[in-house]
Amino acid sequence: MTTRQAASAALWPVLSVVLALGMLALLLLLLGYAPLPALWALASGAFGSSAAWTATLLKASPLLFTGLAVALSFRCGVWNIGAEGQLYAGALAATAVATRLLPGAPAVVLTPLLSLAGAAGGALLAAIAGVLRAARGVSEVISTILLNFVAIQAVALAVHGPLQEASRAYPQSDALPAAALLPAFGRLHLGIAIAVALAFAVQLLIFRTALGFRMRAVGLSPVAARFAGISPERHALVSISIAGALAGLAGAFEVAGVTERLYEGLSPGYGYTAIAVALLARLNPLATLPAALFFGALEAGAGAMQRSAGVPSVVTQIVQGLVILVFVAIPFEARQAPLPGASIDGAA
Amino acid sequence: MHVLLGLVRPDTGQLEIAGRRVDLAGYSPADALRAGVGMVHQHSTLVPAMTVPENIAFGAVGGSALFRRARVRARVARLAEQYALDVPLDVPVAQLSVGQRQRAEILRTLDRGARVIVLDEPTAALTPGETQALFPGLRRLRDGGSAIVFISHKLEEIEGLADRVAVLRRGVLVAVKGAREADARELGSLMLGRDLPGLVRPPALPREEGAPAFALRDLEAPGLREASRLKGVTLAVQAGEIVGVAGIDGNGQRELEEVLAGVRPITAGRIEVSGRLVPPSVRRLRAAGVSHLSGERERGGLVAGFTIAENLILKSSYDDRRFVRGGLLDREAARRYARDVMQRFGIKPADPDLDIATLSGGNAQKVAVARELDSRPRVLVAVNPTRGLDVGSARFVNEQLLALRSLGGAVLLVSTELDEVLFLADRVVALVEGCVVPVPRDADRAALGAILLSGAPQSAVA
Amino acid sequence: MEALFDSALRLAAPLLLAALGELLVERAGVLNIGVEGMMLGGAFAAFVAAVATGSPAVGVVAGGAAACALGALFAYFAVVRRIDQIVVGTAINLLALGATGVGVRAIYPGGAPTAPTVGDLLLPGLARLPIFGRSLFAQTPFVYGGIFAAVAIALFLRGTRLGLRLRAAGESARAADAEGVDVMALRACAVLAGALMAGIAGANLSLAQSNSFTEGMTAGRGFIALAVVIFGGWRASGIALAAVFFGAASALQFRLQAGGVPIPYPVFLMFPYLITLAVLAFATRRTHGPEDLGRPYRREAA
Repeated sequence: MTTRQAASAALWPVLSVVLALGMLALLLLLLGYAPLPALWALASGAFGSSAAWTATLLKASPLLFTGLAVALSFRCGVWNIGAEGQLYAGALAATAVATRLLPGAPAVVLTPLLSLAGAAGGALLAAIAGVLRAARGVSEVISTILLNFVAIQAVALAVHGPLQEASRAYPQSDALPAAALLPAFGRLHLGIAIAVALAFAVQLLIFRTALGFRMRAVGLSPVAARFAGISPERHALVSISIAGALAGLAGAFEVAGVTERLYEGLSPGYGYTAIAVALLARLNPLATLPAALFFGALEAGAGAMQRSAGVPSVVTQIVQGLVILVFVAIPFEARQAPLPGASIDGAA
Repeated sequence: MHVLLGLVRPDTGQLEIAGRRVDLAGYSPADALRAGVGMVHQHSTLVPAMTVPENIAFGAVGGSALFRRARVRARVARLAEQYALDVPLDVPVAQLSVGQRQRAEILRTLDRGARVIVLDEPTAALTPGETQALFPGLRRLRDGGSAIVFISHKLEEIEGLADRVAVLRRGVLVAVKGAREADARELGSLMLGRDLPGLVRPPALPREEGAPAFALRDLEAPGLREASRLKGVTLAVQAGEIVGVAGIDGNGQRELEEVLAGVRPITAGRIEVSGRLVPPSVRRLRAAGVSHLSGERERGGLVAGFTIAENLILKSSYDDRRFVRGGLLDREAARRYARDVMQRFGIKPADPDLDIATLSGGNAQKVAVARELDSRPRVLVAVNPTRGLDVGSARFVNEQLLALRSLGGAVLLVSTELDEVLFLADRVVALVEGCVVPVPRDADRAALGAILLSGAPQSAVA
Repeated sequence: MEALFDSALRLAAPLLLAALGELLVERAGVLNIGVEGMMLGGAFAAFVAAVATGSPAVGVVAGGAAACALGALFAYFAVVRRIDQIVVGTAINLLALGATGVGVRAIYPGGAPTAPTVGDLLLPGLARLPIFGRSLFAQTPFVYGGIFAAVAIALFLRGTRLGLRLRAAGESARAADAEGVDVMALRACAVLAGALMAGIAGANLSLAQSNSFTEGMTAGRGFIALAVVIFGGWRASGIALAAVFFGAASALQFRLQAGGVPIPYPVFLMFPYLITLAVLAFATRRTHGPEDLGRPYRREAA
């Protein structure tokens, strides 16, 4: 892509962000907060110090995994709203492996194993929705939302029961054994690097592999794909499973890299913010890097903004919503995000 | 007809209903209803999940805000009896047969008190008995002062019902005649037009012995409607031959195309390439040397949003080592291939990274032709390949079909463009209501037209 | 037992109201996953208005109005501009979550006060009936409202011309358009009506089920309402039963949590979703909803 093309491709997302922040400033003004100091606190809370950068990257990491998951599945014609549940499923699987199945194993075995478990957990949950769509034509919009709740409750079940910590006092799992914790540079855990690597890997998958080629074809035109010998049902299942695996990794790495144990409310809605991340990135895997960074910065900076300017940190949700609305208000050609067909029926 | 109904705005021209000029600027379906225009569509516009009385009630102009189920039902039942239209009134339309749905649509127009009633191929899916049951009602309507436009390609209906006949060809009104004056040959000739100018048809290759290049034996496949279900289709194409399958839309062409493309499963019969059985799947057919070209972009395997190069390799993503090695796509190889192909087939502009959606219809179809013919297939199944194309692009496609024939390829041309079939094909058969109907070798246009207009399937071997 | 039934109805009411609203929207052909945000917005606005004026009735009206504003936003983007309904719905949810979270802290920096709540309505005489007298006839007005709405909507969809037109727009927008129905206007109105009911459901949460507003207090109930619509087979009667089912599961969960029963309560919370998934997977009738659900309609030359 030429520099000029890259610049024009970035134009609309950047514009959306700027506009959304502008609206935020206006809103703050209306609510009686001083907008400029608040926005300054936001920015410095996200980028102003190494501690700020750390917070930003830690928040951006799960958003990157789940953003990739959503971008991948949307591009393949699958409305995967279940990244949140898939994250929980992955966290659950990883915790089970680390605290119950092989708590004594060395790090060199445990870390890859719990990552695998996380990916598998997310993939399996997603595959349920995929199979329901392929075999019974059940809309994945509804089934992934329902499965979100199932997964969240499954985690609740686990931390009140089989995975609960030894003293049985709190609804949380045991602390993960030291060998299970991800190697880290300060608080920056390995998961962040893996996320970045995966962004490149998913980009490669979608744009350079034959499988990704076929998945994109199915996403753009299931009819044409079928006539070309590509099964829309099968490829939808594959893409949602891969997406589930990515979201599951987000969960696994949150537990193994940040929280060090499993509990309810592990995710403050990463799976839903991921939709905003994916849209802003126009469903391009590499573009989810800056998009996830932006939303991660928003989350990290919001904390600082609350502390110093008194603006409630939940204001980030407003920005997320505004970014989406501003972005979709732009005419489709300019957006160039190939969203799944408006129909919620299963495969064409 | 869609203009009359307010669904499509014409670019020029005028419309008068009951002597009054209609303001076409804001003419909507609601206005059409108010003006007394009613249509019975070829593809039902009833809401499948609702019953007939519900369907009739919701669009009515005026009347009460309440839907009095029993009262409406009684009213509809009275109408049905008056016009001898037997329709179940208490089940969702989805459970009605096609014939019943048609009658329900007629009931709806009658309930509206329509003065102008348009019927679009209403008997396409009716049995002869149901058709006969329909006509007295229509005659009663005419006698009552309604104007009826009856769109049909079946001659005996035209003869039996019409007062006057109008012939439309390619969007142009060609003739209006009293029904008594016209006959089958004349009508057929009016409908079909003339040769394609400028194309030269090379002489046929000498016949070879042995199994035909492409053979269909007793194919049966489910269809959208009874009329389009494939029934015992048997057909053979020799190498170096073009066999034309002529027919009017809705007689099984889509089903046949889908079977031969490998997308629709068959319930009986075989497909053979050079005498060997080929399982009806997309990849196996392609591996056996069968290519598929379609007049509809999506059915022809063209993905809008993909580049020209990506579309060219769309059917080669599984195991074509030119472009796929170790699961990875060789994009540069695809681009090189694309440039080469575009040059050989004369496609301009020659940028392989252009989104195919930006190409004109003609150029996009050229890409499809290039893809399907570049592999020198043994067999090409071409279905309405020039649909919607400009003259130059259509001519290009036809030239390519003839070129493949000269090289020994076998071409099965399924088309609703009757003059195209007659010009290109060495042999012609007709596809009528899912059956293959033989056409005499010396049949001229009028005779072919008469066969297609006859609507009655005979034996099924060609 | 009777107390359980009583709780079940109370807990079911907001689900019932929101689901009935969503029923209208989906029967018209629009999938609104922003119900969650509309409920939350309604809960917040109802709370603020009730605290400010001291009147819970004003609160309910305000809740409905706020949700309608969100509904108008949704209708503009999803119906008029024909932008993907999932995306717009998600945006609404995020906006509502953020706006109400910010709002509650901006308006009540010292913490949210308690609101004047909507009291139970006793139906005299009937309330004294044995067995279910108190639980059926001494309920919050929201329960009565929900039952009334269920009956009214059922009659509307089956027995009025407008109801038929709405169903036609959702089942086959093309056929409806050909019959003179203004599909876009009808869908937009349905969205507003659905939003209104979601707002009232939200008011139920902050002014009856609890007496205050907390951030994110809907806790996924809007999504549960979506499940209720499906589980209820897109019929008002089915939805009423499904809502009670979900409400009962919730009531049971509270009871068990208090009573120390060996079955862990998350199982009960999971149960309704699993049942819905099973219904979707195995039932053959009516699992897809209206045919044109989720498809923006554009009149094109056929």
